Amino acid sequence: MVRFKNRYVLCEVISEDPRCRQCIEDRALGLAIRDAIARVHGDYGLACCSISFTVKYLNAYTGTVLLRCRKDSYRLLCSALPFVRHLESRAQRYPCSLNTLHVGGTIRTCQKFLIRYNTAQLLRLLQNCTNEEERQCIQKSLLSCSLTEEQSQSGDEEEDDDTE
Amino acid sequence: NILTACFSVGYSAVALNHVIDFKEKKQEIIKPVSPSELFPSLPIVQGTSKRIKVLNRLTLVVSDPSHCNLLRSTSANIRLYDIIAVFPKTEKLFHIACTTLDVDLVCINVTEKLPFYFRRPPVNMAIDRGIYFELLYTPAIKDSTMRRYTISNAISLMQICKGKNIVISSAAERPLELRGPYDVANLGLLFGLSEGEAKAAVSTNCRATMLHGETRKSACGVVYTVKKPRKVEEEETAVPACKKVKTQA
Repeated sequence: MVRFKNRYVLCEVISEDPRCRQCIEDRALGLAIRDAIARVHGDYGLACCSISFTVKYLNAYTGTVLLRCRKDSYRLLCSALPFVRHLESRAQRYPCSLNTLHVGGTIRTCQKFLIRYNTAQLLRLLQNCTNEEERQCIQKSLLSCSLTEEQSQSGDEEEDDDTE
Repeated sequence: NILTACFSVGYSAVALNHVIDFKEKKQEIIKPVSPSELFPSLPIVQGTSKRIKVLNRLTLVVSDPSHCNLLRSTSANIRLYDIIAVFPKTEKLFHIACTTLDVDLVCINVTEKLPFYFRRPPVNMAIDRGIYFELLYTPAIKDSTMRRYTISNAISLMQICKGKNIVISSAAERPLELRGPYDVANLGLLFGLSEGEAKAAVSTNCRATMLHGETRKSACGVVYTVKKPRKVEEEETAVPACKKVKTQA
């Protein structure tokens, strides 16, 4: 059976500036990544990677990004991701960097990985918790992560506790 | 600050680098900063329950054979460093570093065109002795001209050494210049490594370098004595890098 095979790359946006989190948008991120691919791999690389390139999922609170590209050109994309240095939006440049977490063939596998990763992050935050209420919050969200619940990226609750 | 970024990204061992340049006249080897002074308690590696290791590393920028005598001197401060690296500037020094010097890493210049070409005999001897070649990736992220030099030097090294014994490290000065291990392995693909070799360049080769540095403290890496009040002796197996090492009293 002939069908197009895609690769889904899961990344995390790391930045020092807290304002950068608010301005993460899919268009700005897509432009920044295309720009990095053009700088590293040139016109050929940009053309290859942008056949089926979209930003599928974006979580501004945790900085999680899910990108899609063709299976033939995912290596070009992955090798250009370390070269992303700024995000530009609304005439502001924020220095940031992308950290690749997982490359999968389907969105479902990436989602499973993301849930495990977020659980591990929550556990790590649990150790550094000082407040009792935060502790309760995190424990509750840890116990309620599963794939059957809709969009159970329980990273949202962790960020609300963190960025107070 | 950079270290906290390292820990959050997922590295399990970090080495802090001190660079000694011999162009200035008065150079002494300073005592390295002990990691316990920087952190009261080291955070735990993501995913395991062990603490992160912070090591000290010394880089000697040599442009003259007389500078290498420093390595043979019995300065006490050299013993305090865990990993010793050398940065040769000429072909003769590269040959000396690969064949006779007592180092763990040989740094390859990425910021300018190499003044010499690599030849196969010293590179093969270095691989046999267990010495690793180091490439930096942070200049590639910062500047486009540096990127070209990095890639061309890296590919010429790959053609000679076939991708073995490579370590990719960052010379990050700011936390945003650091990249995670998966990303660095992908950068290795750009340098001409295959996928397995690139992942090894970030993980197993680095660990082997650390063990190689530890063999310097013990007698050829076979017996490892620990000075404790109870005088406990432990046996430790290390990378097969047997060569004559001055045993520490």
